[in-house]
Amino acid sequence: MIPPLVSLVTVLAASVAPPVPLADTVIQISAIQGMHFSLPRFEVAPGMKVTIVFRNMDSQADMPHNLVIMRPGTRTKVITAALQATAKQEYIPVTRDILFKTPLVVQRESFTLTFTAPAAKGAYPYACTFPGHGFVMYGAMYVGTTPPPLATDENVPPEQRVPPPAGRGGGRGGRGGLPPGPRPISAGAISYGSTFPAVSRTFLADNGPASIAVALTPQRSYNFDAGVSYFRQAWDGGFVDNYPHWRGNGDGYADVIGKVWYHSKANFPWRVSAPDSIPEARFLGYRLVQGGYPEFHYKIGDADVRELVLPREGGSGVVRNFEITTTHPLRFITDPEGGANFSASAGQMQGKVLTLTPEQARKFSITMTPAAPLP
Amino acid sequence: MRTCTLSLILGLAVVATPAAVSAQGRQGAPPPAPGAVAQTPANYPYTIEKIPTPDSLSAEVGGIGFLPDGRVVAAFHHGEVMIYDPAKKDWKVFATGLHDPLGLVVISASEMIVGQRPEVTRIKDTDGDGKADTFETLSDQFGMSGNYSEFLHGPIMDAEGNLFYSLNTASNNGPVRKIIRGTYSPRGRIGRMFSAVDYRGWVMKITPDGKTIPYAGGFRSPNGLVLDKDGDLFVTDNQGDWLGSSKLYKVDQGKFYGHTPSLAWDPAINTTPTTIPIPILDKMRQREIVFFPHGILANSPTMPQIDYTGGKFGPFGGQMFVGEMNHPLIMRVMLEEVNHEFQGAVAPFLSQPNLRLGSNRLAFAPDGSLWVGHTDHGWLGDKGITRISWNGQTPLDVSAMNLTTHGFDLTFTKPVNAEVAAKLATYQFRKYSYEYHLDYGSDRMDQGPVAVTKVVVSPDGLHASLTLAELQPKFVYQLDLVSLTGTDGAPLVNSTIYYTINQLRQPGAAPTIAPRR
Repeated sequence: MIPPLVSLVTVLAASVAPPVPLADTVIQISAIQGMHFSLPRFEVAPGMKVTIVFRNMDSQADMPHNLVIMRPGTRTKVITAALQATAKQEYIPVTRDILFKTPLVVQRESFTLTFTAPAAKGAYPYACTFPGHGFVMYGAMYVGTTPPPLATDENVPPEQRVPPPAGRGGGRGGRGGLPPGPRPISAGAISYGSTFPAVSRTFLADNGPASIAVALTPQRSYNFDAGVSYFRQAWDGGFVDNYPHWRGNGDGYADVIGKVWYHSKANFPWRVSAPDSIPEARFLGYRLVQGGYPEFHYKIGDADVRELVLPREGGSGVVRNFEITTTHPLRFITDPEGGANFSASAGQMQGKVLTLTPEQARKFSITMTPAAPLP
Repeated sequence: MRTCTLSLILGLAVVATPAAVSAQGRQGAPPPAPGAVAQTPANYPYTIEKIPTPDSLSAEVGGIGFLPDGRVVAAFHHGEVMIYDPAKKDWKVFATGLHDPLGLVVISASEMIVGQRPEVTRIKDTDGDGKADTFETLSDQFGMSGNYSEFLHGPIMDAEGNLFYSLNTASNNGPVRKIIRGTYSPRGRIGRMFSAVDYRGWVMKITPDGKTIPYAGGFRSPNGLVLDKDGDLFVTDNQGDWLGSSKLYKVDQGKFYGHTPSLAWDPAINTTPTTIPIPILDKMRQREIVFFPHGILANSPTMPQIDYTGGKFGPFGGQMFVGEMNHPLIMRVMLEEVNHEFQGAVAPFLSQPNLRLGSNRLAFAPDGSLWVGHTDHGWLGDKGITRISWNGQTPLDVSAMNLTTHGFDLTFTKPVNAEVAAKLATYQFRKYSYEYHLDYGSDRMDQGPVAVTKVVVSPDGLHASLTLAELQPKFVYQLDLVSLTGTDGAPLVNSTIYYTINQLRQPGAAPTIAPRR
């Protein structure tokens, strides 16, 4: 769903970065109705690895937009030069003032731009260079410097110098008045006041409508489908952006941010007694434990299951910790086609099938790692 | 609003002005829109106050309730449950990550029962850190097709601990997803607003021992549930297919309320519900107890609340207050029982631009003020929370409208000008009905004036007893009070009342029963 990252610019920028990169940050910026960026300014530290997920959420279907970051003080020069740029150039003028750029993004599409923030402190303007847009559609990335009060910030369009009422008019409002420091990935994408680990019940494409998206860390996420009580999807690189679901009538799916490495299209994985019949699962809820990880509670037939998914230590993947009370042996049918390698701390793994005695099922874990290495 | 796009489009087409009126109102020059409700006067004894919410919270309110100490619990569209201390003007996050919560029951500062799209959930803070850590699924025994319009409204709780919630039908502006929860029925998939999965269009009950019972079917967009102190359940529903106008129902177990696709989940029906002939459906269905006339009064009524404040909210104790999405309006419903059936009248209570639109959720605070949670949810509406409080003065209004064997008795909050009140021309009645059919909405049918033939005003000026030339059941009787004033010459606050007649009062039967308190 997110196009692969990386451009030549990214590589060049990385080559001049300090040897020890600082903490990463992910910034969500949308082009919104009224020719604005949803986020008119943000702060990063010099040398920080920055990922911008840029989305075109403009309500006008015929409005492509890009996001071009340039050297301090060059915005007017660059957008004036852009008036002469051709469609073949994607309206990006040839100038050394442009540091990082996305291609033109059409409505509802997105592009992920990753770069290393410049070492030199300053206010780096960004704008849409589609002819004419940049005169009203701009903002600034503050690198290692505190922005002035929003009301007087010349790098922010006048209409966005007051914090808009939250969420008003289809944009994710309230983002003009930024707290200091980099924006967390959660801003405007999940519930107000969320902390990581985070839970977000939402609509995700090719998942059930009773999905529970969980971010174990800001970069490692999965979906537990409460409609059938099973682990359906896992991805790395971000969490979810609910804005496409929350906006308008709610018909849209939330965006999965990052690289999906597991997505099971198989049936419910557990079997209780009858080998070929799929037992009925019943979702009973969850508790937040160990600092906020959800521990799911459900029944498979008469077996009582608690499942706590934790990030795998020392690499990508997850560890699913189970505590099951059952009087029957259980079988768990793994789904390698979903994109994961499976291993278990107890029981007998034969081919795709893990068999557990009631004693073994009492406490064990299943580890899932990406079958293909993640970028 | 929380209904379907078409309802909005049509609603806007019929009453194109409320948004414009409201926008102008914010700038201080609000002319009343033709056909829309007139603004309540500037000296109206109810104060409107906007409650601050955090800047970066999208304050689209889905649920609101109170702790006994006056703290407010509110649920918001992006999945938050938050607690507000009015004394400190301070918001605290109690829970996050819920899916479009649209109702809550406050048990204590550490426990709430919240309705969200997939389920009704008991949310608890068990370690005392002020944040919820336990999310127990109380009821999810219903289907989800993944259609955006499948809202879950409520829950509300009765004195015995039973919970009631309602399941919105799906909209044909959206799909049925590839992966669904529950059981699919092609028989319920038919219609503008449909019921392709189990119990869409039903009111559901959760018993104190945890059983979920499909309680009553036939609803379209039942965005408002309330219980009176006797345990009677009332539900609002929104104009659209099968609903000629928006309405209020009294809901009883096992009955059918007219929106047809949900009959797919009635075990006694084994045909495609929409193929049942309308005369048969019309006999099967329960009628509304109050119509909210579409376009001229309301477009999308929301949640009702009953004033049990013991007089703290003014002279309308025991009456029902109902929110509205598309107008800056709170309505007031005056119910009575005729032949042991509820029916009654609705009038505007408060219509002020500074109330704003989208009055989606209502709750009475322990101090007797009425709190209104607003939403727009991408539609016409507003965000935030408004507090309405009474300043102790009595407005001149109609406090009761009761059917008699020969007409209506009106009761006023204060004595009226006896001379004006004694004139027949002061009381202008029109009657009309709405069609019951698959089509969207209905014109006002069989519309015509009804003559008032006699008026008797009580010596104290508090009552007027009207005799009408005819009384016909299944009609709305709209009363416009022309030029009626108080003894001081001040006009009535609201001069239009809409009474829905189902039952006629029989001669010799018990006389007028005062509104239940």
